[in-house]
Amino acid sequence: MESIKSSDVFKKFSGIATSLKNSEIENWKKQGGKVIGYFCPVIPEEVFIAGGILPFRMRGTGSTTTDSADVYLKPVNCGFPRHTFNQALIGEYDFLDGLVVNTCCDTIMRLAVDWEHAGIKTPFIYSLDNAHAGGEAMVGHFRNQLQKMKDAVEKYFNVEITEQKLQDAIKLCNETKLLQQKLYELRKLPNPPITGSETVAVMVAGSSMPKEQYNKDLKTLLDELGNVNTDKKYSARLMIIGCGHDDTLLCDIIEELGAVVVTDQTCFGSRVMIKTISEEGDDPLMSIAGYLVLDVPYCPKTIGTHPERKQFTMGLAKDYKVDGAVGQCFISCDPWAAELYLLKSEFQEAGIPFIWFEREYIPDLIGQLKTRVEAFIETINN
Amino acid sequence: MNTEIKVEEVDIYKELKTEFGGLGANSFQGKMQDYVKSGTPIVACTDDFFPELFEAMDLPFYFVVRQGLESAFHAGRGPEAVDGYDEFNGASTLCSLQKASAYLLVKDLLPKPAAIVMTSTSCDAQTAVNELMSNYRPWAEVPRISVDASFEKDEASMEYLGKQWIQTIPFLEKATGKKFDLGKFKEVCEESNKQTQLLFDFQELRRAVPSPIRAEWGFIAYMGCRWSACGRQEGTEWMQRLYDATAQRVKEKKGIDGVTEKIRYTWFDILPCWSDKLFPRLEQEFGAVNLMDLYGYCAPWPSIDTSSLESIFTSMAKRFLIGNPMTRQIFALSSVYGGDAVNIAKNFKCDAVIMPGHIGHKDGAASHKIVKDMFRELGIPFFVIGCDVFDERYMDPEVVYQKISAFFETSGLT
Repeated sequence: MESIKSSDVFKKFSGIATSLKNSEIENWKKQGGKVIGYFCPVIPEEVFIAGGILPFRMRGTGSTTTDSADVYLKPVNCGFPRHTFNQALIGEYDFLDGLVVNTCCDTIMRLAVDWEHAGIKTPFIYSLDNAHAGGEAMVGHFRNQLQKMKDAVEKYFNVEITEQKLQDAIKLCNETKLLQQKLYELRKLPNPPITGSETVAVMVAGSSMPKEQYNKDLKTLLDELGNVNTDKKYSARLMIIGCGHDDTLLCDIIEELGAVVVTDQTCFGSRVMIKTISEEGDDPLMSIAGYLVLDVPYCPKTIGTHPERKQFTMGLAKDYKVDGAVGQCFISCDPWAAELYLLKSEFQEAGIPFIWFEREYIPDLIGQLKTRVEAFIETINN
Repeated sequence: MNTEIKVEEVDIYKELKTEFGGLGANSFQGKMQDYVKSGTPIVACTDDFFPELFEAMDLPFYFVVRQGLESAFHAGRGPEAVDGYDEFNGASTLCSLQKASAYLLVKDLLPKPAAIVMTSTSCDAQTAVNELMSNYRPWAEVPRISVDASFEKDEASMEYLGKQWIQTIPFLEKATGKKFDLGKFKEVCEESNKQTQLLFDFQELRRAVPSPIRAEWGFIAYMGCRWSACGRQEGTEWMQRLYDATAQRVKEKKGIDGVTEKIRYTWFDILPCWSDKLFPRLEQEFGAVNLMDLYGYCAPWPSIDTSSLESIFTSMAKRFLIGNPMTRQIFALSSVYGGDAVNIAKNFKCDAVIMPGHIGHKDGAASHKIVKDMFRELGIPFFVIGCDVFDERYMDPEVVYQKISAFFETSGLT
C-alpha cells in the first residue's frame, strides 16, 4: 500500500472529520440514540457514554461564514466559537439533543446563554465549571462539578449512570486512548506510515462517532498501516502546537511542501490521549476528575501551569525527533498566544527552530500562511 | 481641533482629590521605589482580590495590571508600551492594558517580587499575563501560588476559594518572612467593612437627580478604598468626607457645576483613559451626564465575617466573586453582566446605556446581544461602540463622540 489514503477505513474517518453529520450519527439517531455536543476535552465524554449518550466534540467544520453568529459574537471573539455557533444557527447541529459548554475561555463560557437565547433547538444545555488552576486541591471540587453534570444528564435524559457504567465507559475510552497512542508511536518512525494530515482526520473522527465502532475501525487501520510503504523521504519532521486544530489545513500546507508533521500538542491531538484514566478505585468520577485536573496536559487558560506544558511539549519534541515546531493559535486566543510566546525561548534553547503565528480558524486566504511555513521549512533545510 | 474642555472642580472636591493623592503616596504602591531600594519583600498579584491580607501583614504588594494603568497609561506612556509589546510579538488582540502590563514586565520595569499570588477569574488576557509573569525568566526562582476561583457562586464554591486563599498565609510568611496576626487581620477587615459600606452608601447618593458629581468619582472612591487605603482608618475618613460632601450636594439638589443635566446615561465598562476628550463635551453639547461605570458600580458587597479565620476567607471569597467590580460581571453568566447594566439603568434613572465594547473584553462582546435585548424590552436606548478604553488610537475619541452624538440624536434624546 502506497498510502493509507486508499484504505476504506481511513476514507471513512476522513469523511467523518470533514463534515458534521455522518452516517454513524444517523444510524445512532435512527435507533433512538441521543447525542450531546461538548466543547472542550476537559468535559469528560465518559459520563455521557455511561448514560448511553453519544458524545460529539463541537467544531465549525464546513463553515464558510459567521454572518449569523455575528449578531451574538463580535470579531474580537475567536473564530472557533463563532464558526461553530454559526453552524448551529443555520441548523447544522440539529442532530444534537444536548450541549455542554464549560468555562474554558471568555467566549465559550458565554455560549450556553447565547445558544439558548438564539432559540437553537437543543433541548438540554449545561455549563460545566472546570478548574482554572492546576493542582491536587482542585480535584475534589472538580469531582463535585462532574457530579452535578452527571445528575443533570441523568435527570434530563432519564438515564441512570451507575458507577459500573462509568467504569465501563472509562475502559472503553481508555482503549481509544491506547489505540491512538499506538498510532502516534508509528509517527516516531524515521519514515512514518501516516502523515500529520491523515492523523488529524483519525483523531477528529474519534470524537464524532460511537467509541465501540471507532475502536474497531482504528484497530483495522493500525493493521493496515503495517502494510504502508514507508520509503517516502520528508524534508523535515515538524510538530504543531496550539489550540483547536480540528482541520487538516496547516498539516496540508506543511506536507504539500515536502515536510511531515510527526506529532502535535493540540487539544484534538496528543492532549486527549497521552494518558489514560485510572481504572482502579471505587469512585470513577474522582478518577475522571483526577485525570482531567492532573494528568491531561493543562490548557494555557489554566493559571500557573506553563512549566508542566513546557515539559510536556519539549518531551514530545524530543521523543518524536522533530526538526522544527510550528505554533499556531486562532486570532483572539490570548492564553495560547502567550503560551507560544513563552515556548519560543524554550525551543531556541533546545536548538529547535520554532515559528508561531495567529491565524483565523477558517481563513479566507492561505497564501500568507503558506509563505511563512515555506520560509520556515527552507530555514530548517538550510 | 481642540476638543478638550477644562473641567473645574468645586473646592471641596479639589481638596478630596488632593487628599486622594496623599492616600496614594502613602500607600504600598506610592512607596514602592523605597521598598525596592531598601530590599523590602514585595508581593506581585494578578488581581485586586484581598488587599486586607497584605495590609494586615504590612506586606507591600502591587497588582500587575494596575502597573499598566498607572505607570503606562496614566503616565502618558500607554501607546509606547502597547507598541513595545507589539514589537515582541505577543497576542495581537490582547487588551491594551494587559499589553502595557506585559511590556513593563518584559522590559524589566516592574519591581522584582519576593512572591507571586495568582487567582484565576478575570479574563483570558489576564490569564495570559499571569502566565507571562509567573514564567518571566528573571523571576524564575520567585515562589508562586495559584488559586482557582469557581465560576459558580454557591456556598461550596465560596468555601473552595476561601480554603485555597487561607493557604496563602503560610506561603507568604515563608516567602517574605512577614508574620501573620489574626487580631490585626480582623481589625483591618472591620475597617474594610466600614469602607465598603461607605462605598455603597456613596453610590446610593448618586441616584439623585440631578447627579451630584461626575462618574469618575465612583472609580476614585473605589481606588481610594481598595487600592490605596484598604483597611486603613485614613481611607475610611477620606471616604466619609467624600460621602458627606456629596450628601450635602444632594440635599441642596446641586448637579454638576456648569452642566444643565438633560440626558442621564451609563458608560457600562471601565472609564476610558481619554475621558477628558469625551465626557465634558457630551456634558456641554447635550447636557449628557455619565452616571456610572463598571468600577464605580458596587453591587452590595458582602461584609467580611470576622468571627474566625475561615469565615473571613469565605466571606472574602464571596465579596470577591459577587461583589468585586468586573470579576462579578466577567466571571459570571450574561444574565449577571446584563442584569447589572439593567439595575444601573433603572436605579439611576438612565435615559440611555452605552456599552463601549472595549476590544479587550471578549466576554462582554459575547454578551452584547443578550444585553441589547434586555434594554430593548425595557425601552431604554442602548448602544455598543467597539472602542479601546485605554488606547485612544484604536478609535479616535472624536469618532466616539460623533457616534454617541448620532446615537443621542437618533434615539430622540436631544
